[in-house]
Amino acid sequence: MSRLQDKENGIITRSDLRRPGVRILYYALFTVCLLITLISIAPPVWIMLSSFKDIKEFTLSPSILPKEFDFSKFVRTWNDLKFYKFYINSLYSVAGSVICAIVFNGLLAFALSIIKPKGSKLVYALVLGSLMVPATTSIVPLFININKLGLSGTFYPLWFSIGANAFYVVLYKQYFDTLPKSIIEAARIDGCNNLQIFSRIVMPLSKPITMVVAMYAVNCAWSDFLLPYLVLNNSGLETVMVRLFQFRNGKTADVDIIRAIVFAIIPPILLFTAFQKQITQSSTHSGIKG
Amino acid sequence: MLDRMLEVNKKRITKYKMSENLKHNMGGWLVMAPTLLLFAFFVWEPLLESVRLSFYSAKGMKLIEFVGFKNYIDVFRHPDFLPAVRNTFSYTIWSLVIGFLVPIVLAILINEMVHAKSLFRVGIYFPNVVPGLATVLMWGFIFKPGKTGVLNIILGQFGIEPMVWLSNPKLTIPLIVLTMTWKAAGATALIYLAALQGINPELYEAAIIDGAGIWDRIRHVTIPNLRNLARTLLILQVIAVFQILYEPLVMTNGGPNNASISIMQLVFKYAFEKFDYPKAAAVSVIISIFLISLTAVYNKFNKELDI
Repeated sequence: MSRLQDKENGIITRSDLRRPGVRILYYALFTVCLLITLISIAPPVWIMLSSFKDIKEFTLSPSILPKEFDFSKFVRTWNDLKFYKFYINSLYSVAGSVICAIVFNGLLAFALSIIKPKGSKLVYALVLGSLMVPATTSIVPLFININKLGLSGTFYPLWFSIGANAFYVVLYKQYFDTLPKSIIEAARIDGCNNLQIFSRIVMPLSKPITMVVAMYAVNCAWSDFLLPYLVLNNSGLETVMVRLFQFRNGKTADVDIIRAIVFAIIPPILLFTAFQKQITQSSTHSGIKG
Repeated sequence: MLDRMLEVNKKRITKYKMSENLKHNMGGWLVMAPTLLLFAFFVWEPLLESVRLSFYSAKGMKLIEFVGFKNYIDVFRHPDFLPAVRNTFSYTIWSLVIGFLVPIVLAILINEMVHAKSLFRVGIYFPNVVPGLATVLMWGFIFKPGKTGVLNIILGQFGIEPMVWLSNPKLTIPLIVLTMTWKAAGATALIYLAALQGINPELYEAAIIDGAGIWDRIRHVTIPNLRNLARTLLILQVIAVFQILYEPLVMTNGGPNNASISIMQLVFKYAFEKFDYPKAAAVSVIISIFLISLTAVYNKFNKELDI
């Protein structure tokens, strides 16, 4: 079964592996990797196991496994905390965010990469500059502006804020730069205007990068809580993360919080399991450039 | 006659070209306009507004009058300021001690594996999909003091007495950094992994011919090839950790006794607990100035190294 003799790259080579000492080292390192993978996966698994415990069991019994697997506890917490509502709100927030992330960042990158009007280099420099600027520090004036415009208690600030994401613009621009110019020229000669070129030629050719941006945007919109908290708190539109953040000053029982955590991590985990290959690959491809 | 006709024609062509150019530029800016508006509203304007706000006194969200550096002086004098600065540096240093090398080592290890490589890759990336807020809440439960905390249960198997973990002021910051590392290390490791796969195998062959052992190969081939990437990720990590907010906010709320309060948490407290926006802006400006000068120094240093 062992394919050690097929090893082709890396620091340790095939000829090293013929030595027994190196072989032992390899298996020791393999065990270390297994352990690290275990540490990566164990905490969420534990939280899911614990969510089956009741309050007495959780506070008193020093064991990792629950006594029984009873799903009715989940249903009760789900109903008690009205999680249905938060899921729907999060869904709205995520859906709008993904659309904005693709359309707005895509449009800007399209102009910077393909139309290239006068001054676009300066714009790109400004966009790149905002990657370097500490992001969270502008949260206070942003909050004030949102309130002045009366956008507090709506999803608009969350949707539109992701439409101004320098990282996604860079991702799109780098991808658009690789598209063949001849196709775009041909479309222009055929009488397409800019928006038609964008929607009919460029975007259909850029599905892979759109997938990446969409996945990042889903994760970001689902996990974000600071701006959603400031904008949506006590508005009836709280997302799942805002609800989790509210536990900070509430008196909810530990087991209910744990079940809420489980509710919050299940959608991204499902998404990850479905798209794990694309996600791990895209992060290796795009990460460096960010 | 012919000459003049050509002349007129040329002029017409230039004129046509100019209007075409204008149309082209206008069209481009029209496409950019909506997104630029968003960038202005969400990124650029708040940054400048932050500076202006920090020099004013305000009642709620309404600016009253210019007060010079008063907000800054008040912020400096606040008893929480010094602990916050000290802790933020402490977070940064601990995150470099714990968090900087872990992804590099992980990437090198996984790159060497022949078996189960993709399992490891997916496994170490997995924590990154768990939302940050859920992560810190979850680790808060793992670090629960008393006999029923998970970590204490596990240590109990080895006969170690239960500990208080986060409530121990000496352990708070390292434990919070550990939590952050758990979440972020795998994703960073994948970036290093990509760089490792880009190393030309001939370099290793050449090293082997020169008689280099495994350790020598790591030192003279692997590490020099990762150096540039590591430098970039280092500065990005410092910038990110310096703005640490929700981890201490949720896990310890800055406690015990200010042992884990961070500068960004001061911003949060000023703005959203005391509703003193100008002072919050003043703290933000201090953070920005520090980070921007750090980046500038780093860039200069980096250029010198590259030559």
